[in-house]
Amino acid sequence: MSYKCSRCKRDVELDEYGGVRCPYCGHRVLLKERSRNIKEIDVQ
Amino acid sequence: MTENFEVQFIDRDERTARFLVRGVSPAFANGLRRAIIADVPTLSIDSVRIIENSSVMFDEQISLRLGLVPLTTPPNEFEEGDIVTLALDVEGPETAYSGDLRSDHELVEPADTNIPIIELKYPETADSPQRLELEADAVMGRGRDHAKNQGGVAVGYRHLQTVVVEDDADEYSDSEPEILRGVIEERAAEHAVATDGTGEPENGALVATETFDNDLSKRYPDKEVSVRDVDDAFVFHVESDGSMSVDELVTNAADSLAERATELEQAVQL
Amino acid sequence: MMVPVRCFTCGKVVGEHWEEFKERAKEGDESPEAVLDDLGIERPCCRRMLVSHKDLVDIVSPYQ
Repeated sequence: MSYKCSRCKRDVELDEYGGVRCPYCGHRVLLKERSRNIKEIDVQ
Repeated sequence: MTENFEVQFIDRDERTARFLVRGVSPAFANGLRRAIIADVPTLSIDSVRIIENSSVMFDEQISLRLGLVPLTTPPNEFEEGDIVTLALDVEGPETAYSGDLRSDHELVEPADTNIPIIELKYPETADSPQRLELEADAVMGRGRDHAKNQGGVAVGYRHLQTVVVEDDADEYSDSEPEILRGVIEERAAEHAVATDGTGEPENGALVATETFDNDLSKRYPDKEVSVRDVDDAFVFHVESDGSMSVDELVTNAADSLAERATELEQAVQL
Repeated sequence: MMVPVRCFTCGKVVGEHWEEFKERAKEGDESPEAVLDDLGIERPCCRRMLVSHKDLVDIVSPYQ
C-alpha cells in the first residue's frame, strides 16, 4: 500500500509489521494518494 | 383530420419561439409538446474518463456538470446511439469552462461556451496547481431516458383566447386590473385601445398580453369583458437549450410523431 | 460550490450567466432584478438559481 507522509511529503510503503508511521520522520499522519489509473464514470 | 393546420409565428428567434397552431385537437397539441421534450434525440456527454482531477470536486460531480452542458447537434448527421469524443485539459489557477471542451467532430461543440465547470486553484499549501484532464463520450440520446438529452426547455401551450365585451363597466365601481396571460385574438377592436407597438386595433389580429401589461382593463378601458377560449387553436411556447434551433426541434418532433403513426399503421395492417 | 449548470426546475442553462451576474449584481451595485431581466432570465425558477447561489471553491481549496 502506498501512502504519502503529510509532514515530509515522501512516499511511504506500509507493511503489516511497522504500524501506521512514516519510517523517515516518524509522523503518524499518512495520506492515501489518488491512483494513476484512468477512472471511467457514467454520467447519471 | 378534416382541417388543415395553420401556423402563425408571434415571436421567432434561434432559441425561443411562440407560435399559434390552428386546427389541432388538445390531444395532438399535447402529443407534440411531449415529443419536443422527450423524443428529439440530442447529443450529451454520457461517460467520462478522468485522467487527472485534483480539483475540489469529486469526479462524479464534474461528470454530472459536463453531462448537463448542451452540445450542438447537427441535423441528419447522427443516429441514436452514435458517439462523439470530447476532451478537456485545464490547469490552475484558472477556471475550466464548457468552451474548453474540444470535440473530434467539427460540427459538435458546446452550445454555450461560458459555463463554469470547475474553478481550479493553485493553493499556497499545495506543491502543484490543481488540474483537470479528461476525455468524454457524448452519446445521442432522448429526453425520456435522461433530462440532459432534452432539446426543449419549458415547452408548453395555451389555448388561444379571445375577449368579448359584454357591456360598459359600472360607472361607480372601482376599476380593478383583470389579469390575463398568453395571446388573444382581437374580436372587439372597436372597444380596444392601441397598446404600444401593435398599431391600431384590428379584428383578427393576434395580440400578446404583455403588450398591455397582462391587464385587460388597459386594453378595454371602462368595459366589462369576459374571456373565451378559441376552439382548436393553441399557442405554443418553445425554448431550445441550444443543441438545435427551435425550427429543427419542432420539425424533428413532428417527424417523430409521424414516424410512430406510420409504424402503428403498418403494424395494424399486417 | 460551483453554480449549477442548469435550472433545477425547468432545465434552462443558467451557469453561463453567473459570472456576469456576480460581477454586476453581487460585486457591483446594480439591482439583481434589473441584471436578471437584462440577461434574459425570466422565470422565477431560473432567477432563484443565481440569486441564492454562493461560490465555495475558495473556502474549501486550502484543504486536501
